[in-house]
Amino acid sequence: MKTFKVVSLTLVCLLLGITIAWQFNSVKTNQILAQYEKEDINELIEQLLQEKNNNENLKARLQELQREVDAFQNDENTDKQYIQELKQSVLNARIMAGLETVKGEGLVITVKSGGLIEVEDRHIEELVNELKASDVQAISVNDERIVAMSEIRNAGGYIMINARQLVPPYTIKAIGDAEKMKNSLNLLAGVLDKFEYYEFEVDIREEKNVIIPAVRDVPIDMLTPVEQ
Amino acid sequence: MNKGHAGMLFLIFVVFGILISVQFRSIVQSETGDAISIKELTEELEKERNEKALLMEQLTSIEAKREQLLKNFGETLNNEEINSLLKKRDFEYLRAGLAPVKGSGIVITLEDAPAIGELNINDYIIHDSQVNAILDELKAYGAQAISVNGERVISTTKPVCAGPTIIVNNNRYPPPYVIKAIGDPYALFDAVNSMSTVAFMRLAGIRVDIVMQDEILIDRYHPIESLDAIFDDLEVVTSEDL
Repeated sequence: MKTFKVVSLTLVCLLLGITIAWQFNSVKTNQILAQYEKEDINELIEQLLQEKNNNENLKARLQELQREVDAFQNDENTDKQYIQELKQSVLNARIMAGLETVKGEGLVITVKSGGLIEVEDRHIEELVNELKASDVQAISVNDERIVAMSEIRNAGGYIMINARQLVPPYTIKAIGDAEKMKNSLNLLAGVLDKFEYYEFEVDIREEKNVIIPAVRDVPIDMLTPVEQ
Repeated sequence: MNKGHAGMLFLIFVVFGILISVQFRSIVQSETGDAISIKELTEELEKERNEKALLMEQLTSIEAKREQLLKNFGETLNNEEINSLLKKRDFEYLRAGLAPVKGSGIVITLEDAPAIGELNINDYIIHDSQVNAILDELKAYGAQAISVNGERVISTTKPVCAGPTIIVNNNRYPPPYVIKAIGDPYALFDAVNSMSTVAFMRLAGIRVDIVMQDEILIDRYHPIESLDAIFDDLEVVTSEDL
């Protein structure tokens, strides 16, 4: 009888030990799973909001185009209106390509080295990327307009943009929502925090009339248009 | 049964009881609530995506219709000014990325490593910075048109945001990531192929296929707003006479 008690107690204790271990693991995995799901949800909500926003814009655009098409079909347009519209679309395309000098509200940022670390292409690129991400409509670095095919890179102590050598101090001009730009530059551990760590001298001014010059050329000699 | 044993058994069962309740709660917690809304969100997202596909189709067809009407109008009027403006517009659309183009160049396909080895887990995944470095390299070596998963890179294209999906021009695409570039195929191939970023990616088993092609087709940018709205903060300072 005594042996039976000892054996059963041992068994129960063993079982308890295993259960505690299993329990510990399982609770931990469940917590991790719950965490993942939370991240998934955040990601999903973000995607959903983006798609909704896109669709809203699309619908508005479709209505706009429909009105234009209706106007054409009903012969509401005169030659003059037609010419005006064509001119506007030529101008819009040139603005988009960066071929027009433009003016608007925005930021003027000056960056130069203040210590041992030189300002390099990656620093400027990070700054430009941050500005692009906050919906700017035009950007230049030392008056070199950043267009679709503009590169930013180091070439022996200089920074090259649009195949031009630029020397410090670097002046970045951006036209767009100044508050939005400042907010994204000032993020914790963002671009400006990093620049401070590198001991760069940074000056940021908000200006009413930022002028950004046109790019010299947009080469397209290797592109053949395709009929739509 | 003596008192010692009874006490011990009592303790054991108390612990058992607590364990069972903790376990039960933990399972309940992880399965309810969140799981339901994930399903709902996914369905809603699917709905929005389907709607978007439909809207994009409508957009393409209405743009084509408008284009046809414009051309017809120009032809019937046979006005010299209009014809020269139409030519000019086509040329500017080509430079702005608003016209589909073809030419020789390279196609790069990127895909996360199939298996994880002994490096840091992050090394097996494609990062934004790597995709953006490749784009910058292509631009530096004279690419004249670039697209990422079919989205044309234009002046306001934000830096690519890569993760489980890639975001280009506010649109999301699943992997593999396909970058097309028109330019000198040899120069572009050598430039990308010899990048240290690419060497590192390949070391980790990330797929980086680079293929030279004689004819690459790159679609135009499809604005979902009018250009006036996209560039509404800009005022033109100087403009050549139109």
